[in-house]
Amino acid sequence: MAYTPQYYPGSTSVGINRRKHMSGNLEKLRDISEADIVATMGHRAPGADYASTHPPLKEMGEPDCPIRQIVAPTPGAAAGDRVRYSQFSDSYYFGPSVPYWRSYYGSINCKGCDPGTLSGRQIIEARERDIEAYTKKIMDSEMFDPALAQMKGCTVHGHSLRLQENGTMFDMLARTEMGKDGNVYQVKDQVGIPLDKKLNLGKPMSEAEAKKRTTIFRVDGVSMHGKVGARKYDEAVEALHHMWELRSKWGYRPE
Amino acid sequence: MVTKSDTESIQVEIVPNRYLMPATAQSLLNEIYENGGIIRIMIHGPNLPRSVPYGPGKGAPIEENRNLLIEVGGQAFELSVNVGRIRLELESEKYFDGLKAACERALPFSFQIRRGKFFHTHPTLTDYAKFGKVEDTRILGLIDPKANKNRLGHIV
Repeated sequence: MAYTPQYYPGSTSVGINRRKHMSGNLEKLRDISEADIVATMGHRAPGADYASTHPPLKEMGEPDCPIRQIVAPTPGAAAGDRVRYSQFSDSYYFGPSVPYWRSYYGSINCKGCDPGTLSGRQIIEARERDIEAYTKKIMDSEMFDPALAQMKGCTVHGHSLRLQENGTMFDMLARTEMGKDGNVYQVKDQVGIPLDKKLNLGKPMSEAEAKKRTTIFRVDGVSMHGKVGARKYDEAVEALHHMWELRSKWGYRPE
Repeated sequence: MVTKSDTESIQVEIVPNRYLMPATAQSLLNEIYENGGIIRIMIHGPNLPRSVPYGPGKGAPIEENRNLLIEVGGQAFELSVNVGRIRLELESEKYFDGLKAACERALPFSFQIRRGKFFHTHPTLTDYAKFGKVEDTRILGLIDPKANKNRLGHIV
């Protein structure tokens, strides 16, 4: 029987969603065009050539190396693309993905990437055409919500603030705006430079939908400690305590 | 036994559950103003810069944050923060219920309102560095200590 990786414990909706994010079996909720993703990332103009830092690997004459023979390079690495990034920030108010889960997603599912986790944002670096493909997958899936998650290359602090009146995450640089038709539009790239045209990111999730899809444990949503007063811990907490104990006492080496 | 004076001023903090759009902020501030009894008031929230402060887009204008003019009590002023918290001092307790009702009228979502002590009474080191000896102590607690002198709070 083929081995199925078991990613995360727990029977709560948050545990299930975390498993989904790690495994990469994500539901596709929208289809944002590649050109729109490229424009939002802001590293190159849509349709422009990829800049490169070295010639394509085939022309370079690589050394005889067994690892290079086993591991096929990603399209970006094979072509010699620059390394570029996309960075997301998720609201604490039931944002779709917490930074660690974005990193787990990147580490497990995105070949040749370098994820970085911070308290309120998560960055993935990879070769340019690879990061564009990964970012499209993320933005089309349930790991993204136009109101509660945003691509923010800098000035990310809205993640820890209350939501704005229209239900979107606060953004000091006003990179997105809520249209009269209920859709959220990207009006600036991830570092705040205005775009030539507004890009439609679709309608935000309802509050109930966001609570259903979130990977955040919250006392007013799915609490990590079970129902208040019940003290019935989720399996996720028990596993976390177990790992913490192993880590603290033996540095993950129980012999 | 000392009887407390019923004309003693009280301090109140209003925290809406969402950040307010300028129109809602204007409507709320007008309701509060019409309720009367205000000695001083401070609006607080995240900064809305006029241009991108840092990063690769540094200096790019943020048109959405410009000209956020609101009119309160017949006086127009420009918002430089996204209103998320209002602290005020009222002349006496009798204005408190009216204030609560004003918030209920103006805010389309829930909010918290509480009494307490929200303005400091003695000048801090920063106050001294910025203003020297403070003559009018009502200004204490109204100022963002990190703000430039030309962007200090407006007093309604």
